[in-house]
Parts: sequence; C-alpha cells; structure tokens
Amino acid sequence: MGDSQYSFSLTTFSPSGKLVQIEHALTAVGSGQTSLGIKASNGVVIATEKKLPSILVDEASVQKIQHLTPNIGTVYSGMGPDFRVLVRKSRKQAEQYLRLYKEPIPVTQLVRETATVMQEFTQSGGVRPFGVSLLVAGYDDKGPQLYQVDPSGSYFSWKASAMGKNVSNAKTFLEKRYTEDMELDDAIHTAILTLKEGFEGEISSKNIEIGKIGTDKVFRVLTPAEIDDYLAEVE
Amino acid sequence: MSRGSGAGYDRHITIFSPEGRLFQVEYAFKAVKTAGITSIGVRGKDSVCVVTQKKVPDKLLDQSSVTHLFPITKYIGLVATGITADARSLVQQARNQAAEFRFTYGYEMPVDILAKWIADKSQVYTQHAYMRPLGVVAMVMGVDEENGPLLYKCDPAGHFYGHKATSAGMKEQEAVNFLEKKMKENPSFTFDETVQTAISALQSVLQEDFKATEIEVGVVRAENPEFRALTTEEIEEHLTAISERD
Repeated sequence: MGDSQYSFSLTTFSPSGKLVQIEHALTAVGSGQTSLGIKASNGVVIATEKKLPSILVDEASVQKIQHLTPNIGTVYSGMGPDFRVLVRKSRKQAEQYLRLYKEPIPVTQLVRETATVMQEFTQSGGVRPFGVSLLVAGYDDKGPQLYQVDPSGSYFSWKASAMGKNVSNAKTFLEKRYTEDMELDDAIHTAILTLKEGFEGEISSKNIEIGKIGTDKVFRVLTPAEIDDYLAEVE
Repeated sequence: MSRGSGAGYDRHITIFSPEGRLFQVEYAFKAVKTAGITSIGVRGKDSVCVVTQKKVPDKLLDQSSVTHLFPITKYIGLVATGITADARSLVQQARNQAAEFRFTYGYEMPVDILAKWIADKSQVYTQHAYMRPLGVVAMVMGVDEENGPLLYKCDPAGHFYGHKATSAGMKEQEAVNFLEKKMKENPSFTFDETVQTAISALQSVLQEDFKATEIEVGVVRAENPEFRALTTEEIEEHLTAISERD
C-alpha cells in the first residue's frame, strides 16, 4: 500500500542492536492510563482507569474494554486510536476462524493472531509499531486465561498483570495480594484495590471500567451500577 | 536526516519520538489552531447546535462560498475547524461513505458510526508513512433515533468522543473552561438555550460582539431532525435575546 518511496521499515536496528521504535512505543504504553487483569480460579477480570480529558465528554460514549468474541474481552494501555485498529483486525480473525471451523476461536489462537499483526507492524515498510499493549481475557475449553500482548508482538500468559502508568506499583501490589485459589469476586475486589492504589482523585463508577468472564463463558463489561456495588464492598 | 539517533523526529513522517509521542500529529493539532478560528458545539435535551466564525478575507468574495458548515447527509452536519482544503476533502469522503452506508444497510448512517469512520481514517494517517495527518478537527452532529441529540468530535490523532459540549480551534481551551462551568450541573437546555449558550460561549472567548454575518450556526432539532444552518435573521434574533438577557 502507498508510495514505494516509503516501502522501507521505519523500525530498524540501531548500531547497538536495539529496535528503538519498539522501545519508544513501550514508552507510549508506559505513559498511558493504568490497566490490569487477574486470573481467578473460576474466571478472569480486567479493569482500567477511564480518565476523560474534560467533564464535557459524555462518558457513555467511551468504552475502553471491548469484546473480541462473546467469550473473549480485551483492554489496552496507550493510544486509543491504535487499539481500535487491533480490535477490528482481531474480530475479523475470530470471525474467519468461526466460519472455517464452526466453533469459537480458542483464546491462545486469537492472541497469537493479534500478536502476529503487532509484530508485522514492527517489520513492514512504511508503518510504525502500535502504541498499545493489550490484556486479553477469555474462557474456553482450557479454562480461564489472561494474556498480555506488547507492541513488539511478544505475548505471555499471566496470573495477574498490569500495564500503563504505575505498572511497577500495581504489579508489586498484585504480587502481594494474589493467591492461586482466588475466586472471581475476590479478584474483582483486588482489581479495584489495585487501581485505587495509584489513582489520582476519587475513584467512581464513571472513571473506571471492569470486564469479567466466569464459568458461564460470557464476557461482560460491568454497568456503572454494578461497579458501584463492588466499590461499596471494598470500602 | 539523522533518523534514529535522537534528532529529526519532529520533521519525519509519523514515527515515535523517544518520549513515545508522535510529533507530526501534534503539529497537525497546531495547524488547526493556527487557522485562527474557533468553533463551539452544545448539546441540548432535544437539539444540538454548533457555532463557528465566518471570516471573509476579501470584500469581493462571494459570502456564501466561505463556510465551515457542511451537510454530510440530510440529517448529519459537520463543522470543520482547521485547514479548509483538508476539510473539503474529508467532507467529500464522508458524504460518499454515508451514502454508501444508506445504500448497503437501508437506513441512515448514525452519527457515532460516522464519527468512528472519520476517526479510523485519521488513525491510518498517524501510523502509515505514505500520507500526512489531516489538519482538521471535525465536529459531527445529529439527532439519533435511539440516543437523541449527539455531538461528536474527531481529531487528527484519531480520537472520537461524544460530548455534552465542546470546542475546537484557536480559543479551544478558553471555550472549554467557559462551557465546563455552564454544563457542570448537566442542564437540559431547550433549543433556544442551546443556541444561545453556544453563541455566548463564542462571544465570551473572543471578547467581542460580532454581527450575525460574522458567525455560522448549524442546528439539528429532534422534532424535525434535518441539519440546517440558521439564517442571518434567526442568528440576529438570538444575538438580541443574548444582549437583552445580560
């Protein structure tokens, strides 16, 4: 696509062997709003800050946590517009799999496809890498799963992870609180407490988003009313 | 050019600076401000209104050809702030897309879907080298069958947000401050209040009283959800109402 003048890679090795464009993309992620995910024994929760630039923005028009399939959800830290591109491409992959095999795409496979796209943008001509990291939460035949995908295209499965501003604090907090036998509701409480740790200002159902999936294998974004209930529980 | 060694990031096609920023995109925002005009949008309970400045640079110009207000469909209006040539190109593509949508799905393109489409286009210019970003901030307005009045703002970075009220252009920040005060209590404005809030916000940030011919006002009302520009006489009435109110 585009002019052949720009068919060279924008992401190239520096003399020291680093891919600086990827490192800068990670900087973009690191300065983004905090997101985190926790894998419980019977489900997964992902949560994120939703700080809007002004009170004039209609918070109902913004949805940071998105569905990829009915049983897989995702959230990002970094550049919102880039996230939309990845969501669109991932949904298409999932749909193509469903059409071919007549069964929902397994979480691992969808994550691999998404990561492949992100890797391609670090090597193809005329494009920069994505300025986002993703957390993908799903529940399939292999049980609850949580993945993190980075701009380089690398991905890992996590018991609990965080990204964006305050990563290190959030991760230390999660390490302290995480237990193997944690249930989904505990995980949601922990997710809220972790967000609260590094939160500037008053946390409310308007400035965070929570998505969860349990044994019913239906990923769902919590309504503001449901978040309010959880907030009251952790008080 | 010293690509990759720390300098030259700002002039180059959209690649990351060491701070993880995209200078080309930030410069596009600057281009919008440099154009020197300010636009304002306000959403009421059963209407939505945008106001923008109309600066005719030459007496001999045909007044009617100087405009930042564009109908995309009969029901959706777009106000463009920034480089006019970029805006015209964007408008042409948006009209095409909206018509395509109507043809494919058999119903009018919803405002938020159009806003997302514009934002998705802008995103491409922030990631691919072969085109520069647009120097335009587009506000899209309409009354949705299900969701009522909608006002969306799309910027060169590819963001699109629904707004209760918003602004773009040279005095954006000042206007946002003004509007935040007005909208704090979530008032549900009538049509007249909506229009007058938008106009008085512009008056306040420009710190001048303008004539009816110096601004453009675009509106969509729920009772007849067609986009239209107010006539000079209608604008005059609102200006009089504002000055009598104060």
